[in-house]
Amino acid sequence: MDNLIYLYGIVPENEISAAPLPSFKGLDNEHAAYTISINGINAVVCNLDEAGYKETELEKKTNDPQWLHEKAFHHHEVLLDLNNRYTVIPMKFCTIYENADSLWNKLEPLEQKIAEQLKWLKNKEEWNMKIYCDDEKLRESVAAHNLTIEAKKKEIEEMSPGRQFLEKKRLDQLIDQEALKEKETFSARVHEQLTEMCEDTSVKKNWNKKVTGRNDEMCWNSVYLLSTENVEEYLSEIKSLQDKWTRDGWHLEITGPWPAYHFASLT
Amino acid sequence: MAIEQSTQSSNLVDVLETVLDKGVVIAGDIRVGLADIELLSIKIRLIIASVDKAKEIGMDWWETDPYLSSKAADENQEQLKKENEQLQKRIDALEDKIAHDNRFI
Repeated sequence: MDNLIYLYGIVPENEISAAPLPSFKGLDNEHAAYTISINGINAVVCNLDEAGYKETELEKKTNDPQWLHEKAFHHHEVLLDLNNRYTVIPMKFCTIYENADSLWNKLEPLEQKIAEQLKWLKNKEEWNMKIYCDDEKLRESVAAHNLTIEAKKKEIEEMSPGRQFLEKKRLDQLIDQEALKEKETFSARVHEQLTEMCEDTSVKKNWNKKVTGRNDEMCWNSVYLLSTENVEEYLSEIKSLQDKWTRDGWHLEITGPWPAYHFASLT
Repeated sequence: MAIEQSTQSSNLVDVLETVLDKGVVIAGDIRVGLADIELLSIKIRLIIASVDKAKEIGMDWWETDPYLSSKAADENQEQLKKENEQLQKRIDALEDKIAHDNRFI
């Protein structure tokens, strides 16, 4: 039976020869992973039976959420492990070639670019930061500290009871608006502060509560590429921001180090 | 503040979104189109959540519900058959007894 080749990522020649690839089972949980080395490009791959992984079969598989969950995590865990051992250019999930020749035909023209990327990514880490916000707490804090709202409250106290009712409703709307503004400015300010110590950043989409399964709202989601030497400072900066702002309903969540999924590029 | 390695299921969406959508793309020979990642994440999270929850509260009703489990359905049938046989025996015994008693009145 013919074998297809599943590509996990590319690692530098000198690093893989200094510390050989640990043995682990590939995506199908049968074939072992190995490296293909040609002209100094070292690709971490595994074989897959063509019968089970040709396009039509793969499409069926990827339509099964359970399969996708298991295999996406397999891909990710392999890349995490590679990332802990080597500098790595991580591939997108399910990058599959018909055979080694075909893989080589794709990689050969990128030889120069691959070398540059590996050099650039060396000693760098990708981290993800999300900011969540407890809306109730934020509203309270906005209502207590916002000058516009303070002034409005004083105004309302002087009014007749009938008007007070209407104006209080309007004030509620104003608090909502100010809270929304505060979410944007707070998050952008934190991001800006962190950006200073990073090589590169990218702002991602916020996920809604259905996707996160959390009770608080995600109001910021971004990734940072850092030199390893700056990671400690970056993390302690986030910790001090977290300590400072917990009371107002902010929750900063940090994950990493990730393989440089968002920053590695061969185009 | 928690700093997490990125394999935990709390980061399900991140892992999915990152590996399914990010990472370096060099056109492979086998092409695969993936469904909407948000929708996929919700589906997967629901599967994980329901299995976890069921385990947590020791919920195994589907294993004993004949509508959901053929094994349960078979067991149910068998039990009914036994009950039926026992009842039949009791009726026979009672009828015998009545017939017997009548003879001596």
